[in-house]
Parts: sequence; C-alpha cells; structure tokens
Amino acid sequence: MSAVPDNKWEISGKTSYWSWDLKELWGYRHLIRSLVRRDFLLNYQQTVLGPIWILIQPIMTLVTYVLVFGKMVGIATGSIPPVLFYFSGIVLWNFFNDSFTGTAFTFKENAHIFSKVYFPRIIMPISVISTHFFRFLMQLVLLVLLMGYYALLLDASIVFSVWLLVIPVIILFIGTIGLSLGLFFSVLTAKYRDLINLVSLGVRLFMFVTPVIYPIGSVPEKVRWMVELNPLTPLFELFRFSLLGEGTVTVNGLLYSVCFTVIALLLSSLLFNKQGDKLIDIV
Amino acid sequence: MADTIITVEELSKLYKLGTIGTGSLRQDIQRWWNSSVLKKQDPFFSLDGNDKTESSQYLWALRDVNFEVKRGEALGIIGSNGSGKSTLLKIISRIVRPTHGTVRGNGKVSSLLEVGTGFHQELTGRENIFISGYILGMTRQEIRSKFDEIVAFSGIEQFIDTPVKRYSSGMYVRLAFAVAAHLEPDILIVDEVLAVGDADFQKKCLGKMREVSQSEGRTVLFVSHSMQAVNNLCDTALWLNKGRMQAIGPVHNVVNKYITQVQQNKLKQEWESPQTAPGNDIIRFKKLELVPQLEFPNAPLDIRVPMKVKFQFWNMQDDLSISANILLFSYGGDCIFDVPSPAVLCQKGLVEGECEIPGNFLNDGAYYISLYVVKDTTTELYAFEECLSFELEDFRGDIKWYGKWWGAVRPKLPFALKQNESAFVLT
Repeated sequence: MSAVPDNKWEISGKTSYWSWDLKELWGYRHLIRSLVRRDFLLNYQQTVLGPIWILIQPIMTLVTYVLVFGKMVGIATGSIPPVLFYFSGIVLWNFFNDSFTGTAFTFKENAHIFSKVYFPRIIMPISVISTHFFRFLMQLVLLVLLMGYYALLLDASIVFSVWLLVIPVIILFIGTIGLSLGLFFSVLTAKYRDLINLVSLGVRLFMFVTPVIYPIGSVPEKVRWMVELNPLTPLFELFRFSLLGEGTVTVNGLLYSVCFTVIALLLSSLLFNKQGDKLIDIV
Repeated sequence: MADTIITVEELSKLYKLGTIGTGSLRQDIQRWWNSSVLKKQDPFFSLDGNDKTESSQYLWALRDVNFEVKRGEALGIIGSNGSGKSTLLKIISRIVRPTHGTVRGNGKVSSLLEVGTGFHQELTGRENIFISGYILGMTRQEIRSKFDEIVAFSGIEQFIDTPVKRYSSGMYVRLAFAVAAHLEPDILIVDEVLAVGDADFQKKCLGKMREVSQSEGRTVLFVSHSMQAVNNLCDTALWLNKGRMQAIGPVHNVVNKYITQVQQNKLKQEWESPQTAPGNDIIRFKKLELVPQLEFPNAPLDIRVPMKVKFQFWNMQDDLSISANILLFSYGGDCIFDVPSPAVLCQKGLVEGECEIPGNFLNDGAYYISLYVVKDTTTELYAFEECLSFELEDFRGDIKWYGKWWGAVRPKLPFALKQNESAFVLT
C-alpha cells in the first residue's frame, strides 16, 4: 500500500475573498510553463511565417501610424523621430491590450476545460499574461534595434540614462493593470454576455485617451484631463522619457498610477477568488 | 486500510432552471442592494423553506447526500438519467461548488468526466499527457516515468504526435482513460465514459480500475449504467434517485434493489371502460401486461427470465376474423421480431390474448412492444404503438467478459464443442 498522502482538502459552498493558496499555485508552475509553450506553438502552427508574425504585426501598425498620423494628420512628436515615437507607443500599448483582452474572457473561452478538470482558475490568466510578456520582450528587442539604427546611422540624439532602470517597473505596472482589468472583466463577461462586445469596443476607444499616437504635451488644455484621468498615461510618458528622453512626467501622475494599480489588483483578485469557482455553473 | 478518504456531508446542489445566469446586471445590483445594504432576505438564494422543491424554477440536483469512502474502496454510483450522479462527481472533482454541505478528502483526485477530460484539441497526444499530468500537480520526471505505460495502454503509439483533434472518439477516450488511471491519483473518478470505447477496451479499463483499487489501494468512484460493470468492479454502491440517496451498501444488494424498482410500473396498462380506453370504433384496449416469470418476487428481470405478454380488448363488431401481431422493438427503434397470432372469428365482446417470450432469447437492453390488431390477416384495425416497455438486465454467469454483448438477440442454442482423440496430429 502506498504511503498515506498528506494532502487534505475540503469543498464547501462558501467561497472566500482571501484564499490565495500560494503553495498550491507553486505546485502548478509546470502547468503554467507548458501552457505558455502551448500558446506560442499554437499561434504559429499552420502559418507560413511562424513566429515572425509577432514582429510583422507591430511593424505594419507602425507603417500605418507613420503614414496616417505622422504624414497626413501631422501630429508633432517633439524631438523624437516619429518612427521611434510611434513604435514605442505601439509596443507598450500592444502589451497592455493583449494582456487585457487575453484575460477578459478567461471563463468564457475556457469553459470546456474548466468544466472537466480542476486546477486553480487563476493559472489561465497568469499563463496568458506570461505569453504576452514574452511576445512583448521580442518586440522590445526590435524597438532597441530600431533605436540603435537611428543613433548610429541617422545621428539621432538618443541618451542612455539611469532612467532606463525604471523600464522593468513600468512594464510590471502595465502588465498588472492589464491583468487586473482582465480579471475583473473575466468575471463580468462570464455573467453578462453583452459585455463582451462592450469590452472589445471599449479597449479600442481607450487607446485614444492613452498617449500612444500623440505626446500628452500636444493635447489641448481643455480636454487634457480626460487623458490624465487614464492611469496608463503617466506610465506611457515615463516609458518614452526613460527610453527616448522626452515625455511629460509628474510625481502626482505617477503616484496616481501606482495607487490605481495596487487597488485594481487587490480588488480584482478578491473578486476573482470569490466568484471564480462559482462561475462554471452559469458560463 | 480502513481510513476514510472521502467524507461527504449534507451535500446539496441547487440549480436554477430556465435562463442561464441570474438575469441582467440591473437585477443583480438590485439583489445585492436588497440583501447586502438593506439586509432584506434575498428571495433568490434563500435556502430555508421547502417551497423551492416544488417550484419548477429550481432543481435540487443533489439533496442531503451523506456517505464515506474508505481507502482502496471502489464505489459505484447508479441511478437513472438526471439523478445527480454526474453532479456529485463534479463536486468531488472540485469543478462545481455545492450549494451547501461539504466534501472532505485526502489525496490527489484525477477525474474522467464525460468524453475527453479537458484535452487541448490542437495539441498532440504527447503534449496532452504532460499537461494532464501537470494539472494533477506532477513533475516532469514523474510523468516521464509513466509515459510509456500510458501510451502502451491506450494503444495509440502511432498517433502520439498527432493533434488530438484528429483522433477518433474511441482513441480520444482511450488516451483520456489511460492518462487518468496511470498518473497515480489517490482518488480516481470515472464517469460514464466506457460506453464510447470498443468492447475490448472497456474490458481493459475495468481490469485497470480493479487493479487500481485492489492492488494499489487507491479509491475509485465509478458511474455507469451497466449494472454488470458496477457489479464486477465495485464493493459498495450508492443509488441516487432525483438527487437523494435511495440506498447505499454492498453492491449486489443495491444493484438488485435498483433494477427491480426501476422496472416497476412500465409493465402494465389498464383501462376501466371502453370510453376512455385507447382504440377506435372497432377495437378498444382494456388491458396490456407483461408478466415476467420470475423465480421469486423482486428478482431482477434479466435475460434468462421468460415473459408473458397478456392483453385484452373489446371488439365492437360481429363476425370479424381477428388476429394480433406483437412487434418487439429495441430502444433504438430496430424491429427485433413481428409475431402474428392465428386468426379467430370473433363476436362482440372481450377478446383475450397471450404470448410467451422465452428466456435466454433476447439480448440485454431496453425494449418496447407495439400491438397490432388485424382483420382477415391483411387489414389493420388498430395499431397500438409502444404500449409496453421493459429493460432486460445482463447476466453472464461465469463468463469473464464485461464488454457490451453483440447482437439483436442472444438465444441459447444447442452448441457443443468437442475434441477428437487424434487432436494432437496436426497434419
């Protein structure tokens, strides 16, 4: 007979807000790793260009933005070359966008798995975020290469400062905001189907109140509050400032972003915890 | 061996019928406002009072279920469709939450619910084996050490690097079962899945489950509609009826009780007067009855039992040459036989008929009978479709074969096997 396992569990109707079992999550690290691997493989199986798509997609967006917003609309990008300005915005926005939309439908998209096997439901959003993080890193490398090209061959003034050190922190915050909003909406979209349309529409509109295609300095004073209300704004500006040396960063703005992130993460993970195991009945 | 590994206490699960979900966002906010802020009683989920049981809007999929399972025990869960078997397994597998009550357990749970336990369609069999293992919280090394065994058991070596979306449903189930049974769970949960695989594989699965519970001392929870399989595999059985526990105990007792109870009342129909009886201007049925010739009352109705079909009808015309046909259909709708009675010249009044279906003739399964009354052996007077139905349980005796027995009928024919004296000369 095998040794007596010491792995007691209890299932009851009550779900609690505070029940993160970190030890349990650690036990599932292999699962997260293989889910991330799966996502990479699946996205590019049966495609001609394979993983190059990770880079083609932002490059095509860049070309469009440069043509439309740079040449036709003529948005001033300060001293930053338009290509670098747009690309830095696109890469960071994509990371947020993918993290958010990738997790906002967690229950709806995984209903067939969630109804067959148990594992902590939070594993799915975590693996999605990790996948998008790796994708983001690859795009970031492309951005750095572009910067190098501009610095060496076109003599653009690119200053490498100590501010580069805050970039990982910015990425962490952007990812956290994406995840928090995603978790929040994953519960809502499972319950109320009509929110699904709203989410995809909302995130598209949300981009226009984020300084992706314009610097905040170019926004008229009258409507600037709309952009400043967006907790992503200070992070985007700081990202450009530390990477490209130009951006409008205020201490108050950053504090606002930090507070928003912490509160959003706390609230959404509480909600996810409380509702996660019940939702399978109604998905 | 006697330590308890699963304890189920007062387990209940309430489902709301009709529209899925709780309604609109506005209603939900209103509900929350009433219950959390105004502290009114929430009309939606208050669980006291029995009014819910009668209300058609709610369904108690499980109601006050209590039992314990010991280590190394194999528990069979039986009951008709919609009796809460699957809900119970889903709760123990931590997939759905009970409405109230608790389940306490000890050890890793591996469950195989319905077909294909959460496989990823796009991934290959190999990758799915690893992911399933990780879901159980195993490490790569542990899975590797079991990998070859799993593949060999499932018999899909050739296809192990093919995405599972290209698998046939049989291959899918074979792999799913192999994974669930080999990853050394402390508790193995198997829902009615064996129906998909072929007979050979079903036998292999039952053998493996017996091995898991008896030699390895693991606990097995098994749902099946095949009483033969439950009888063979399990020590104890739990019978659920409309969410409630009807019986629990040694497997043979419970299975026999279940079989006899489920088969009541489908075997007889009777009408008081010709006005209310089914029929037409010429023929009205009075009584239809299927009488199993059981050795003792409450014995299960299995394939060995001879049965009598008895019927009575009113004939409303004089000088009519009447015959009757008994048609037996399998539940799938295939006609097994169509037997005519001899024609008899009848006057107005009651006509009686009786036909015997021998034992050891039909295969196990569900059947229904239609009765046709015919004039001059050519013209149909009245066709009474699906008037009786019954189910025959399997009986194998000492045959050690658990798969589904083939064939529309299973007659006992004179059949002998013998060996000549010169059998060893093989030229």
